[in-house]
Amino acid sequence: MVNTCYIPKTLEEALKIRKETGAVPLAGGTDLMVAYKRGVGITPVFPFPVMIITQLDELKGIKVEEDGTVVIGALTTSVEIAKDERVPYFVRLAASKMGAVSLRNTATIGGNIGNSSPKGDLPQPLILLDATVVLQSLDNTREMKVDDFIIKAKKNQLAEDEIIVAVRIPKPDYTYGYYRKIGTRRANAISKLTLSSIMKVENGVITDFRASSGAAGPKVARSREVEKMLIGKPIFELSSFIEEFVEAWDGVISPHAMPEFRRATTKNMLRHFLSVCADQPEPGIIE
Amino acid sequence: MSKIKFTLNGKVVFYEGDPLRRLVDVLREGFQLTGTKEGCGEGECGACSVLKNGKLVTSCIIPVGAIDGDDIVTIEGLRETPQGQCLVESFAEGGAVQCGFCIPGMVMAAQALLLVNPHPTEEDVRVAISGNICRCTGYDLIVESILLASRKGEGLW
Ligand SMILES: Cc1cc2nc3c(=O)[nH]c(=O)nc-3n(C[C@H](O)[C@H](O)[C@H](O)COP(=O)(O)OP(=O)(O)OC[C@H]3O[C@@H](n4cnc5c(N)ncnc54)[C@H](O)[C@@H]3O)c2cc1C
Ligand code: FES
Ligand code: FES
Repeated sequence: MVNTCYIPKTLEEALKIRKETGAVPLAGGTDLMVAYKRGVGITPVFPFPVMIITQLDELKGIKVEEDGTVVIGALTTSVEIAKDERVPYFVRLAASKMGAVSLRNTATIGGNIGNSSPKGDLPQPLILLDATVVLQSLDNTREMKVDDFIIKAKKNQLAEDEIIVAVRIPKPDYTYGYYRKIGTRRANAISKLTLSSIMKVENGVITDFRASSGAAGPKVARSREVEKMLIGKPIFELSSFIEEFVEAWDGVISPHAMPEFRRATTKNMLRHFLSVCADQPEPGIIE
Repeated sequence: MSKIKFTLNGKVVFYEGDPLRRLVDVLREGFQLTGTKEGCGEGECGACSVLKNGKLVTSCIIPVGAIDGDDIVTIEGLRETPQGQCLVESFAEGGAVQCGFCIPGMVMAAQALLLVNPHPTEEDVRVAISGNICRCTGYDLIVESILLASRKGEGLW
């Protein structure tokens, strides 16, 4: 079998090829090349046409808009994201913990979202921060929340003529923040479990609260409904709501493998974050 | 069929063929540069590490069609440089090598580190080689040899 492969030189060319042939974008290739590998000395065979977009400069780089929204080009690598101080803490940290340095030099944010694996590290903090993906086709551009884009494991809303061009992260606004990744081995460890959470406290009242669990179900778990249990509550009463909240969050996640471990660890992480917040320390990241 | 032009160990070279061929195969079979090893073929072990535009990458998961115009350095290119010689000597002196299979990748990872951080701490070295698996040594002598290179090669990086 012979591969059909295109190497577009511009985004416009890529969009044309995508529309005419449905060719699948290969960004870093760290998911695709492994998924279709065949062995030593043998070229991977793809059962669909491929277009290598790795070098499209139009989709690279990070910029910040006037209102503080951070826009990350789809082909920006984990290393580039991790080292850019303008990128919100949670996303930087998640990018810095992906694989080893060689992987982070190659893996892209567009590929991490496009792959839509529940174990992918970037969707979790992006969903916490209500980030959106920008999807472009030859005749249209649309934007939707990463949370809506990813439907379930390996399934997303990318249309056959579309390419992910960017990720947009609204400026985060929180008093306390938290991020944890539990992996097996430090390098090249696919997440076993991740959690991030933010809380905003104004005049002693919790005005925003969010949590986001990764690798604990078929997709990243958020629940605005359960989050609401804490919103509007006075911070001095928080400790009396922690157990009830933690139990409710347990109903939000649906871990498949090692469910006891994932459930117990998620509860412990949330309990820890919330009980530290309840003591009203200096604003910032809670370790 | 596509024509890909890139720099390999300082020379401009051309590849013609399936752009989805893995870079490791192009290096080993196309250019007979067998210093780059294949271990896992899945980006996990680092045996196939090379530098792409000065950055460490695993050549088993990179299609050659993704490197048009890029600068690739393999162990064969690195060892001809003063930096490479210093690394090779330090690995020998430090007793870092047993079977040797992981070593080209380890040396590339060390080079990638020293290029951006000429005076690394032990922890920096361990992080830098954390994507490189060695089945023989237990890593300590490799780490020490990289630290030795950074001392012996003062001014080289
Ligand atoms: C050794 C190793 C360790 C890893 N460790 C981690 C880890 O710790 N955490 C983690 O999250 N992941 C990890 N991964 C998985 C992988 O590296 C990431 O998912 C990475 O972000 C994928 O990006 P890519 O550019 O390489 O994707 P590719 O393989 O190029 O593409 C992945 C998917 O996304 C689609 N796609 C890519 N770009 C676009 C675009 N612009 N528009 C539309 N669709 C697009 C592709 O068509 C494909 O379906 C690891 C992989 C390996 C091999
Ligand atoms: S052979 Fe490439 S990382 Fe193992
Ligand atoms: S020396 Fe044998 S694998 Fe490292």
